Amino acid sequence: MSNIATFLRGSHPRLRTSLRPALITTLSAVIVPLCLFSVFLMMAGVAPLDAFRAMLQSSLGSSYGIGEVLVRAAPFALTALATAIPARAGLLNVGAEGQLVVGALGAAAASALLKDIGIVGLPVLILAGIIGGAAWAGLAAVLRTKLQLNETISTLLLNYVAYLLVAHILQGPLRDPASFNWPFSPPIPDGMRFPVLFDSRVHLGLLIAPVAAIIFALALWRTYWGLNLRVTGGNPQAARRAGIDVAKTYLTVMLIAGAMAGLAGVLQVVGVEGRLRPSTGVGFGYSGFLAAWMVSHHPLWLLGSSLLLAAIVVSGDALQITSGLPSSTVGILTALVLLGVLARGHSQGVRL
Amino acid sequence: MLPIIIAVLSGAIRSGTAVLFACLGEIIAERAGVVNLGTEGCMLIGALGAFAATAMTGNPFLGAFVGGLCGASLAAVHAYVAVIRRGNQLASGLAITILGLGVTSFFGRSFVATQINGMNSISIAGLSDLPILGPILFQHDALTYLAAFLAPGIWFVLYRTRWGLMLRATGERQDVVYSVGLSPTLIRCLAVICGGFLAGLGGAQLSVAYTLNWVENMTQGRGYVAVALVIFSSWSPLTAVAGSYLFGGALSLQLALQARGVGASPFLMSAIPYLVTLAVLVLVGRRRRQAMPDELRAVFERGG
Amino acid sequence: MRINSRLVVMAVMLIGSLMLAACGSPAAAPAGSKDAAAPASAVTTVGFLFVGPKDDFGYNQAAYLGSTGMEKELGSKVKVIRAENVPETEEAERVMESMIQQGAKVIFPTSYGHLDPALNVAKRHPEVTFIHQGGLKTSSNLGTYFGNIFEEVYLGGVTAGKMTKTNKLGFIASFPIPQVLENINAFELGAKSVNPNATTSVVFTANWCDPGKQAEAANNLIAQGVDVLTQHQDCTKTIVEAAERKGIMSVGYHADASSLAPKGWLTGSVWNWSPLYTQEVQAVLDGKWKEGPLAGKYRVGMKEGAVKLAPFGSSVPADVQALVKQKEQDIMSGKLAPFAGPIKDQSGAVKIAAGVNPTVDQLETTDYLVEGVVGSIPR
Repeated sequence: MSNIATFLRGSHPRLRTSLRPALITTLSAVIVPLCLFSVFLMMAGVAPLDAFRAMLQSSLGSSYGIGEVLVRAAPFALTALATAIPARAGLLNVGAEGQLVVGALGAAAASALLKDIGIVGLPVLILAGIIGGAAWAGLAAVLRTKLQLNETISTLLLNYVAYLLVAHILQGPLRDPASFNWPFSPPIPDGMRFPVLFDSRVHLGLLIAPVAAIIFALALWRTYWGLNLRVTGGNPQAARRAGIDVAKTYLTVMLIAGAMAGLAGVLQVVGVEGRLRPSTGVGFGYSGFLAAWMVSHHPLWLLGSSLLLAAIVVSGDALQITSGLPSSTVGILTALVLLGVLARGHSQGVRL
Repeated sequence: MLPIIIAVLSGAIRSGTAVLFACLGEIIAERAGVVNLGTEGCMLIGALGAFAATAMTGNPFLGAFVGGLCGASLAAVHAYVAVIRRGNQLASGLAITILGLGVTSFFGRSFVATQINGMNSISIAGLSDLPILGPILFQHDALTYLAAFLAPGIWFVLYRTRWGLMLRATGERQDVVYSVGLSPTLIRCLAVICGGFLAGLGGAQLSVAYTLNWVENMTQGRGYVAVALVIFSSWSPLTAVAGSYLFGGALSLQLALQARGVGASPFLMSAIPYLVTLAVLVLVGRRRRQAMPDELRAVFERGG
Repeated sequence: MRINSRLVVMAVMLIGSLMLAACGSPAAAPAGSKDAAAPASAVTTVGFLFVGPKDDFGYNQAAYLGSTGMEKELGSKVKVIRAENVPETEEAERVMESMIQQGAKVIFPTSYGHLDPALNVAKRHPEVTFIHQGGLKTSSNLGTYFGNIFEEVYLGGVTAGKMTKTNKLGFIASFPIPQVLENINAFELGAKSVNPNATTSVVFTANWCDPGKQAEAANNLIAQGVDVLTQHQDCTKTIVEAAERKGIMSVGYHADASSLAPKGWLTGSVWNWSPLYTQEVQAVLDGKWKEGPLAGKYRVGMKEGAVKLAPFGSSVPADVQALVKQKEQDIMSGKLAPFAGPIKDQSGAVKIAAGVNPTVDQLETTDYLVEGVVGSIPR
């Protein structure tokens, strides 16, 4: 905090050198997107300031709103980790979307098999979700390491396969007999779900996200494994020459990434949703991807960007309900912010 | 049986064309060393632009051109962020897609119920009446023919002209381009914008030639498939034709099987086009990789 | 340096938001307190959730038009707030909660998948009335309603059965959920009632609205020799237009699309929600909702005007029109019930015994296709 204080007082010795990029970043990532978005709002006949006010009120203006932001931010942060971890090793995982869905499927299937065994079932569900997500990511990793199929493309295509696979399984084996033949999985017994705080939807599972982020940060910067990862990400040829098993590194990071996305699926299914539906978690993977890129895959800062994106999503409801704007409007703001961040330029790329 | 085969094959061409346009556009961009995952967004905005312009002017050809321009303008944003500002290409592309989705649903609402006169299928004297081949190959709309002709055209430009040489050089060894006094940045931007134009045309084919309709998110992932098919086609416009029609064929076949009462899950069958694309990528993977433009390796093989 | 620039960004955003929130609260507070303090006779806020865009020429547009009709009817007594594209997940819960924060006292979640989230929110807010479209579960402050659109789909099938020359009808379906299967069955039963040779080939697109797939499904069915196409999709325009271009007939769904197909349009099933929505909200305003049938599983059909038959196309001859109109009368008078037993599934097994008229629960959990349907439900 003292850092900020000196910084703001202007007595910081490096002020002159640090202020310029900071200003550019602010301009590019905050002011310009907000101005462009205001233009959109005005085109729709909505006064931008009123809209922003309504958005803030609904997301950060009440304890309920803040709770909802947290409920949304945790899965975003986990899918962001699923993007950031492989990115540090030089892999592009665009498949958190599909990995989340398969992880959610794992948890829902485990719950259906276990029946109600109380709180001891919860770790099993979590594990099943991790395995589901990791398996789906592992598929892409094997394609990459054994068959040289680029993981960006394979994870992207596997997302579609994952949605359809889940839709198929929900139509058949995992269909809840008590749901009138609708494609929903059986509800997860309350005893096997994350404990909820007060009367809200904030549940203890949300803590998984910051814990995972901190563990990854420590592993990345304080362990030999993290060093390997960074070297591989910096230059795979050099890593190979240095005796690092690059294929193994790729496989591990993808498995971990899949596990993270799978956990996001667990948070949705075991946390807030209570069952799996065909549309559970759709879009969360891409939001996480954006959150990771907004902070250049920094394991701790991505918690902040996830909160920001979650706040945008939550406040989008208010935008729709009070101003009658289409729900897609929120997507425009999200995209503008990310483009603004990316347009800051190359100098602020991945720091290894 | 024969009518079904004809329906599937002509369906393969019709529903493969939008993907083919986008794929050709992406080949141009990637040959210059830039990946545009925003192809999906460019297609969407092209579909809406074409539909809106056709609704306003009554001319689907003008509409398709406007659609192309819309795709090009969205791609220009990508060019600015990814080429000039050097932001990460893949992230920028994804953001472009989200932006395209948002913008089109925002402005597309007023066009949902609009009726347009789209492109009719053009018969070619002598050829369209041929048995079997006629209905499969020669009863299509103008954009479908255009896509098929564009593929060899782009191949010619890429491999037989100085322009093409410079474009490929930009993607392979940009110092060569510097040495002849050209700017690789400029060439990349032009290539991306050009690719966006073609993706926009692909979207236009969907909206003003094929379905004559506009609905939110109507491309449903076809743009991503196009990007995947670029690798499948090893950056060659000619192979892209085969890849795109194969994708279209897989889509058409699963519907044809269902129409015949073949009992299989529509979900699993809907996954076939994606699985086929993956399988083919795996089968041809090793060899194809050799064809990858060098500058792309920096994007694809290092996360940064 | 990098950290600093991030700090500045975060600081700017934080300060900006605090400032906005600060100047926001006085402006918003009176609005909120007005709602809270308002006597029961004043404006009641009614919230609507739609699963898709409100102008899709289909399911959501029908519900949206119902909400505007109700708004017009009840005038200054209600204030309507809406949210579109609300997914059938827990996100619906958040949207409903925000509506309640905006003062909503009545909430219409209009998609089947909004049911579980609505039940959760209803438990937390006993003072709010929830009126769900299409569900089979209720609670003390959540009732459900639906329209028996299968009655109209049956009549569409009758028209198609009379008009077909090839005896092959095509049905482009979305997902194999009960409401869709019920309509496929009703269509085939209607067709078979006047034409024993009529079969219905069904294709599932596994999508609510992908025009490219719809067009391709239409082409493939037409190649099979199908000469009447109908559908259960959220956006309906592409298929009607595709049928017209190929010179075959079509039966519409959700909305009157006769203008799209001047030659081939036969008829179609159309929703008309505003009378029911008005009735529901009026009952809440009068404080009578909880006592009446509305708080349970309420079902309305063509008798109540909740579903309607779209105008006949010019190609439908007078005798066919008269036949269909007669059957319409019979359904309204209770003489004819589309799903009266015996109803057999594709394997020949009796699903509804002879002389039995199925209950709402039985119909709305349909998981089979009747004899005469070509195609299968994925399992």
